[in-house]
Amino acid sequence: MTWMIAAYMVIWIAIFVFVFNMDRRQKALAAELEQLKSKLGS
Amino acid sequence: MLRTIATILWKDLRIELRTRDALSASFVFCVLVLVIFNFTLDLGSEEARRLGSGFLWVAFAFGGILSLNRTFALEKADGCSKSLMLAPVDRGAIYLGKFLANVVFMLVTQVLILPLFVVFFNVPAESAVPLLLLIFLLGSIGFSSVGTLFSAMAANTRMRELMLPLLLLPVSIPVLLAAVETTQYALGVNENASDWFKLLIVYDIVFVVASYLGFEFVMEE
Amino acid sequence: MKGRDYILPALVFVSMLLALYLVGFYAPIEREQGVVQKIFYFHVPSAWVAFLAFFVVFVFSFRYLVSRDKRWDNRAAAAAEVGVMFCTLVIITGPIWAKPVWGIWWTWDARLTLTLVLWLIYVSYVLLRHYVADAEKRATLSAVLGIIGFIDVPLVYFAIRWWRTQHPQPVIAGGGGSGMDPRMATAFWVSLAAFTVLFVYLYRVRAKQHDLEDEIEQAHQLADELPATGKGD
Repeated sequence: MTWMIAAYMVIWIAIFVFVFNMDRRQKALAAELEQLKSKLGS
Repeated sequence: MLRTIATILWKDLRIELRTRDALSASFVFCVLVLVIFNFTLDLGSEEARRLGSGFLWVAFAFGGILSLNRTFALEKADGCSKSLMLAPVDRGAIYLGKFLANVVFMLVTQVLILPLFVVFFNVPAESAVPLLLLIFLLGSIGFSSVGTLFSAMAANTRMRELMLPLLLLPVSIPVLLAAVETTQYALGVNENASDWFKLLIVYDIVFVVASYLGFEFVMEE
Repeated sequence: MKGRDYILPALVFVSMLLALYLVGFYAPIEREQGVVQKIFYFHVPSAWVAFLAFFVVFVFSFRYLVSRDKRWDNRAAAAAEVGVMFCTLVIITGPIWAKPVWGIWWTWDARLTLTLVLWLIYVSYVLLRHYVADAEKRATLSAVLGIIGFIDVPLVYFAIRWWRTQHPQPVIAGGGGSGMDPRMATAFWVSLAAFTVLFVYLYRVRAKQHDLEDEIEQAHQLADELPATGKGD
């Protein structure tokens, strides 16, 4: 039973880490976009 | 087109004849691998005969990577690659010339290693020599086909020496496996290896063609 | 975000929830292996999805080489990244399943070995992209690798299968084929659908990020040029 839980934890953690990293990159891109907008806007 | 192939082939061979860098490095490396295997795995003669083919091809693979690394390293170092790309020759011909040179280098190393292998592993190979040479040829063709392509690719990266084995070893698993199994058959360890011979030939054909076509894209500026 | 944009995430959420429910409560506990067998419901779909991802890489690599449109390269890269993640899941859950059932972590059985080789090939794809600086070069080289890698797959498959029939080992299989309870089949197919939908979602988000990175890059270049273009030009 513990093995089952271990396996599911692994799956959950992997997907979470992947999505978390994507989110981080998204935020970085959004910040860069803001920076650009101000650069171009002025 | 044939002339281009011949020119490039001959150029690489002559450079090698003069310096013997790649050949000696690859030969010595193969010997080292075989010796280390013997040390780390203290094999009895029966096991050695059974497992020897595997070690042999591991040695050939790593030695082959050494000589493949140099295929394009030389060009990049002296800025030759730019002139190579400017030259109005068929890219495919460049590939074939380099590829054939690599096959020759691998074969020469293998032929030189074979007697050492027979001695170190006490393998009864005398009767099997022609078959072994054929297997060496087919294996080298397969390995060098993708190897030459990946060598060109790796030359474009920051970590050339690391990228080549990283790219080549997984993709070459079928040809290495087939080479080992057919070698075992030649040495009398396996019973039937017809499937493996077919795999060798199919792999060779598929990847010489695929690499020839792919090289076009890798070499563009 | 438009209303449309919520469809896919909602689908992921619902299908995953449904799959979890079916696997946890609907599918019967397998007689011989016990609860551990339920890893199968996520282990096998992950493998199928990884394989789908690598096929996608193959197709998009072709499309890039034909059209030279960077967006195909972005899509191939996205598919490869997500594919590697799922492939990693297969390789980790495989041993977790095997240890309690067969007592050993790993056997070089055909399916797991094939997955491992696939993992190696596509990790090298991701690494190649990491080490090439120029965007166009990176796209071209990756495309060639994406095609070569996929061509290799059937050869690897046969090589490993023949190798394994000659030197047989226990198989990390189970659950597929003969005598599978229909409830297990339902749970399996729903789980497969859920994972596929998840893959599509993750892939699309990643692909859009790559596209966005390109746009930002272009905009940066434009912004840098602006002060330089004076009135007299």
